[in-house]
Amino acid sequence: MAATRTGSRACEIFTTLEYGPVPESHACALAWLDTQDRHLGHYVNGRWLKPEHRSSVPCQDPITGENLASCLQAQTEDVAGAVEAARTSLENWSTQPGAFRAQHLTRLAKMIQKHQRLLWTLESLVTGRAIREVRDRDVPLAQQLLQHHAVQAHTQEEALAGWEPLGVIGLILPPTFCFLEMMWRICPALAVGCTVVVLVPPASPTPLLVAQLAGELGQFPGILNVISGPASLGPVLASQPGVQKVAFCGAIEDGRALRRALAGQGPELGLALGAESLLLLMETADVDSAVEGVVDAAWSDRSPGGLRLLIQESVWDETMRRLQARMGRLRGGRGLDGAVDMGARGAAARDLAQRYVREAQSQGAQVFQAGSMPPDSPFFPASLISDLPPASPCTQAEVPWPLVVASPFRTAKEALAVANWTPRGGSASVWSERLGQALELAYGLQMGTVWINAHGLRDPAVPTGGCKESGSSWHGGPDGLYEYLRPSGTPTCLPYLSENLNYDTFGLAVPSTLPAGPETGLSPAPPYGLFVGGRFQAPGARSSRPIRDSQGNLHGYVAEGGAKDIRGAVEAAHQAAPGWVGQSPGARAALLWALAAALQRRESTLVSRLERHGVELKVAKAEVELSVRRLRAWGARVQTQGCTLQVAGLKGPVLRLQEPLGVLAIVCPEEWPLLAFVSLLAPALAHGNTVVLVPSGACPIPALEVCQDMATLLPGGLVNVVTGDRDHLTRCLALHQDIQALWYFGSAQGSQFVEWASAGNLKPVWVNRGCPRAWDQDAEGAGPELGLRAARTKALWLPMGD
Amino acid sequence: MLAHQRGTELDLSWISKIQVNQPAVLRRAEQIQARRPVKKEWQAAWLLKAVTFIDLTTLSGDDTSSNIQRLCYKAKYPIREDLLKALNMHDKGITTAAVCVYPARVCDAVKALKAAGCDIPVASVATGFPAGQTHLKTRLEEIRLAVEDGASEVDVVINRTLVLTGQWEGSDFIKTSTGKETVNATFPVAIVMLRAIRDFFWKTGNKVGFKPAGGIRSAKDSLAWLSLIKEELGDEWLKPELFRIGASTLLADIERQIYHHVTGRYAAYHDLPMS
Repeated sequence: MAATRTGSRACEIFTTLEYGPVPESHACALAWLDTQDRHLGHYVNGRWLKPEHRSSVPCQDPITGENLASCLQAQTEDVAGAVEAARTSLENWSTQPGAFRAQHLTRLAKMIQKHQRLLWTLESLVTGRAIREVRDRDVPLAQQLLQHHAVQAHTQEEALAGWEPLGVIGLILPPTFCFLEMMWRICPALAVGCTVVVLVPPASPTPLLVAQLAGELGQFPGILNVISGPASLGPVLASQPGVQKVAFCGAIEDGRALRRALAGQGPELGLALGAESLLLLMETADVDSAVEGVVDAAWSDRSPGGLRLLIQESVWDETMRRLQARMGRLRGGRGLDGAVDMGARGAAARDLAQRYVREAQSQGAQVFQAGSMPPDSPFFPASLISDLPPASPCTQAEVPWPLVVASPFRTAKEALAVANWTPRGGSASVWSERLGQALELAYGLQMGTVWINAHGLRDPAVPTGGCKESGSSWHGGPDGLYEYLRPSGTPTCLPYLSENLNYDTFGLAVPSTLPAGPETGLSPAPPYGLFVGGRFQAPGARSSRPIRDSQGNLHGYVAEGGAKDIRGAVEAAHQAAPGWVGQSPGARAALLWALAAALQRRESTLVSRLERHGVELKVAKAEVELSVRRLRAWGARVQTQGCTLQVAGLKGPVLRLQEPLGVLAIVCPEEWPLLAFVSLLAPALAHGNTVVLVPSGACPIPALEVCQDMATLLPGGLVNVVTGDRDHLTRCLALHQDIQALWYFGSAQGSQFVEWASAGNLKPVWVNRGCPRAWDQDAEGAGPELGLRAARTKALWLPMGD
Repeated sequence: MLAHQRGTELDLSWISKIQVNQPAVLRRAEQIQARRPVKKEWQAAWLLKAVTFIDLTTLSGDDTSSNIQRLCYKAKYPIREDLLKALNMHDKGITTAAVCVYPARVCDAVKALKAAGCDIPVASVATGFPAGQTHLKTRLEEIRLAVEDGASEVDVVINRTLVLTGQWEGSDFIKTSTGKETVNATFPVAIVMLRAIRDFFWKTGNKVGFKPAGGIRSAKDSLAWLSLIKEELGDEWLKPELFRIGASTLLADIERQIYHHVTGRYAAYHDLPMS
């Protein structure tokens, strides 16, 4: 017998039982690159575009440094061309029946299935990530996403009646995970009838390949266009006519810069920022399983970022020992090796991790590194950092991949405080075998996603997103669809940019108020105070502003609120928040209904106040009546919140919770002084928020009249109303770091300022861009949009098993 | 042949502190099977190693001296000589770890192995296998007789009545099951047992052995079991003193895989000797 394949090394391996390389051939990825002559352009309108005179960037294997291809860098006209293609195809695509779009998405899913090997080898080759993750997780997930959203498209006319597609969507992606992040966003966007222009970082060919696969379906070539270029083209993309929304996924500081750059540009901005995650390990946990959770969260190629690990003090030593033992068994290496846990993600990612570790060390932290890792430069070993001083800069900074920063805590209460003591709010897991404790922590965490006794599970049916500086956009689930929809009949977003708006001085100075002439009536009316903390207070500035009626006569004086009053109001709102959140929906509904009844009793006063401002008697009566109805309606809606999602392959439910935003600031419009005030207040309260409002500037008195009832009915601090110069108050609110969301209905300039200033804590903002709104129409004054904006979603995963 | 456990005071508080999260263990079990593929020369070497862990087993009511004899011969020569030669492994003394039979067949096995001129230990199942529901007196007598007949290892069925009521027993070696249950050696169960072995080692310094049995039929399965041990306990457990695989048909599949590795062809059943 001829020994055709013998192992000279078999002997040695027999003794050592070491692992060997399991190389995956990437010949098909190279062959695909060859079809483009190793020179990738943009894929627009179903064709490859390779415009002349563009600079190009090499696409390199992050591990060997080998040049794989060169990628063009887009310029403004390339972006314009892509948007034009998307806009042209929008008309046709968005008017197709949902069932038809569903079919098209299913065909794309099949197309991906046919070329999955090409997809996973290409993605692993260029990103350096372990092929096993791409092959066993990313590619199947991409197909599931298409399937799931095809079903959503199919039922769209029924399930999403009253909503219409936004239009052209601009999508800006980060380098390492651009394929999967793209799929999470294009699927819902295409499903509901939007068309997309994707801006990928240079040297990211996988999205281009997906676009080519979509293009080869023949029909609707322009619905998915991919251009490669630097992130600095983001504002250019946003400013193209027709772009209605920009979805950005990437680093927090880049998101902040984009938020500022896009103020006043018109399109909405959806941010998904940062990649850090959190793991809470209680003493009652299955520690070994939790250690696997840490591996999934930070030391594998499924995790985009690093991990903050909070360990209960009583199991600290035991956990650290297990973690270190487990780290020793991690294998790093070339991503195309099938037996590798962690690949390498290029020099930038490595340097980031290196810098963090060095800095942590210099601040006195302990760093433990282990695992079999090739020693040469692109690789960075799994690292476990402990004893980091609480006040050191590293504690504040985002933890990069593949780092874990461990710190101890004593009690569950302390764990929650430490976990929430961060500007980020992405995802977290809780490990505890005590059900009550686990749920208490899961509900208390300010995060977009919480897993109980698991980490990193994803599913197309479950919304993924965040809060605080992690951005407040969503992908997946019902929330992912609303990102690309607007209530039918809403006008399209147009730029309302005012070039000469000075952000430094907008609303900075308050015009001084002087006596406004003869007071009428027997005894002079006392000035209305500020309604803060449940009672009327004198403003910090100790001055009042006159309010004139429609005849130009003095109607009364209201308080001139300022920065200190806003501060006080926000503090009062924060103090009231825990009590209000803890109220049952029934109790919240009862209070809203009680307020409605009080409004009814006060009808004659309110009507006369409105009449003095030139509102006809009939209209004034209708306004009061409608306001009462709004309070009742939101009181009734408060009962129906949250739902259970069923996920394929997971035993146990996923809860989609609707949680309050926190302190919500509302700058009410000038028009409909009572109705708009109530229409905005009611959904905010119904969803458990505490509120700071600035009423109509010209006619604040009806709102202040309502405050007299609120003073007796509502807990102090739940609603706070501050009158004064609207621009000044808007400035104070928009720049306040501890306000969780801001709704602004006022001037175009004010809207632009609010968008710009919100970059500070990245609070979600809703601005009217200077356009009036039909508050008396149910669609605009009480539509589901208000409910969606008044709450934030949290996905809570509850895997079960005995 | 095994050094006896020094033994420790039974401390039930250890057991009461143990937490196992089933869905998380299931996920780990799924991952571990996909994360460590072994190919080419590595696969061949690992498979040969797996052979040395096998307790080559026959536990049938109709076992007779003739099929026991065949089994023992296979234990001594588990892989065709020319295949081993091609791998340059023919002089490594590769045999299975033991043969495992019913107590009444221990004599036959000892005789057959002696005739084949080798010192492979004979393991006997005992104590009312597989249910263990017999009196303590007969159980002890059964062990004594098996040892008398020449068995050097005894797989004892523990009294599960006691375990289920919280009265645990100690052991040198733990086995996933008798192999005769509806569910036998599964990864999730093994993960929990291996973690217990490691914790016990960390606490006392004593190494307890591990033997999955039942349902391990393919070469691929055996590789997954090896990598499971390597990942959860480390290389120090990958030796016959601490790890065994109870199996009857596994060896045939391993031999076929080795044949394929050496020749590049898939073997017909009759290309390889029967066991």
